[in-house]
Amino acid sequence: MMARAGQYSDPHDADDDKTAQAAFAALLEDSAEDLYESAPCGYLSTLMDGTIAKINSTLLGWLGLARSDVVGRLRFTDLLTVGGKLYHETHFAPLLRMQGQISGIALEIKQAGGGRMPVLVSSVVKHGTTGEPLLIRTTVFDARDRRAYEEELLRRQQSAEEARRQAEADRARLQDTFAVLQQSLLPDTLPELPGAEAAAHYHTASPDRLGGDFYDVFPLDGKRFGFFLGDVCGKGPQAAALTSLTRYTLRAAALHDPDPVSALTTLNKVLHERYSAGGDPRYCTAVFGTIDPDPDAGRLTVHLASGGHPPAVVLRADGTAAYLPTPGGLLVGVLPAAPFTDASTTLGPGDTLLLYTDGLTEARTGKDRTSLYGDEALLAFAATQAGRPPHAVIEALGGLLTGFGDGLDDDTALLAIGVPSSDDQTSEDRTSSTR
Amino acid sequence: MNALKMSTRDTASGPVLEVAGDLDYLNAGQFRDLLPTITVRPGQRLVVDLGALDFCDSSGITALIAAHHHAQSGGGQLVLAAVPANTLRILSIVGLDQVLTIHPDSEVATGA
Repeated sequence: MMARAGQYSDPHDADDDKTAQAAFAALLEDSAEDLYESAPCGYLSTLMDGTIAKINSTLLGWLGLARSDVVGRLRFTDLLTVGGKLYHETHFAPLLRMQGQISGIALEIKQAGGGRMPVLVSSVVKHGTTGEPLLIRTTVFDARDRRAYEEELLRRQQSAEEARRQAEADRARLQDTFAVLQQSLLPDTLPELPGAEAAAHYHTASPDRLGGDFYDVFPLDGKRFGFFLGDVCGKGPQAAALTSLTRYTLRAAALHDPDPVSALTTLNKVLHERYSAGGDPRYCTAVFGTIDPDPDAGRLTVHLASGGHPPAVVLRADGTAAYLPTPGGLLVGVLPAAPFTDASTTLGPGDTLLLYTDGLTEARTGKDRTSLYGDEALLAFAATQAGRPPHAVIEALGGLLTGFGDGLDDDTALLAIGVPSSDDQTSEDRTSSTR
Repeated sequence: MNALKMSTRDTASGPVLEVAGDLDYLNAGQFRDLLPTITVRPGQRLVVDLGALDFCDSSGITALIAAHHHAQSGGGQLVLAAVPANTLRILSIVGLDQVLTIHPDSEVATGA
């Protein structure tokens, strides 16, 4: 600072200049001895065998030793911790002998109070006029701050590691929760239907997103069965909550009154009551129906109603396919009172009823998102499968969905219920659900 | 993908909201956010003119339902005008064509 002041002072201001030069000179009068003793680092000179010949006050202060205890009595290695000694023997000394100098080695010195102090040590060998090594000059820098910094880094690293482990554990737990919830939204298996078969398929658009489509088949009263399939609005956890409410409301409503229009009306009341207040309308589309099997006659009667859902397709044994229209049925949960439209059909051997969500008919078949697979294409495809048993129809449609690739960006549920024709092989997996 | 553009104007029969572009999962929030700023008085019609609508998905349908609720809560009525064929098809599948009032164009809808 003083040197700078002298250097930059105005040359025309002679008095100031003189004062600055005097201060600078005062600095230069500082004795070399004092500079050595009170330097901000430790100085140490040893004989080639390590015996300490000279040591400065700074280092003595760190060690907590008197000069008389050290000079001529201790070797450099006596100042070091056990680990430091070892490192000195194996690395420090050999390298110093080889290179004539070594710098920035991290060691620890023992302090009189029993403490240890991290230091950075540099040494250089002084040679005589004939080149023989005379002594070793060593500087010792206080590395306590640096060590604290390194320990802090280590601590940070350890806590980051701990946080990562915690996050992984959390994620695993979430995945477990997620899987259990996902299972609660879809049935594991479909029940055995006397003289009939049910098969289902669920396509998840995104594996980490809880589905918004749902279906189920379940016994009603020992003779009849209930079934439903639908699609809730929205995506993510809110949609999953809505799916759950919808699914369990329909099952409970059906036990109370299995009439399809009644079941949907109950669901409508529940959803409207639950969601209309918030100004955030939530609703679903659904087909609910009952199956009344008559195994002796080899047929079953289906009675269903639709709320805002695309019409079911009936595939007949004779190779034809047709929609079972349910026009005018409203989205479920939108209005306090909603109209639902019902329809009935009888399925004989080789006939299959197909329910689907609009992921299928709305799948993109071109780059433009208005080029959709559509109702007519579905009906044409269904006709190619007409006469085949439900599991075969579902398998073929599953292949169709796979073929859409990226064009299928919505969840899609498929449910087929039918009476296998007598020449169909009965199979173990006829009522299995494929996911 | 098209951006959603909306403009409102007032007529004798009530506010008219013109919607152009895509009313979809990404944009429907804008529509929903705009609704509270539109005042519908008792007996008025809130006309939503969909003449320039390119695309409407289920989120768009939800937005239209929210508009229906908004008009009703003000004592008025929602009227959809100039609904494109593909959107009309969806409205018909979900049964809303039976519930909402739909007019071929906004002039008829506003009674002008």
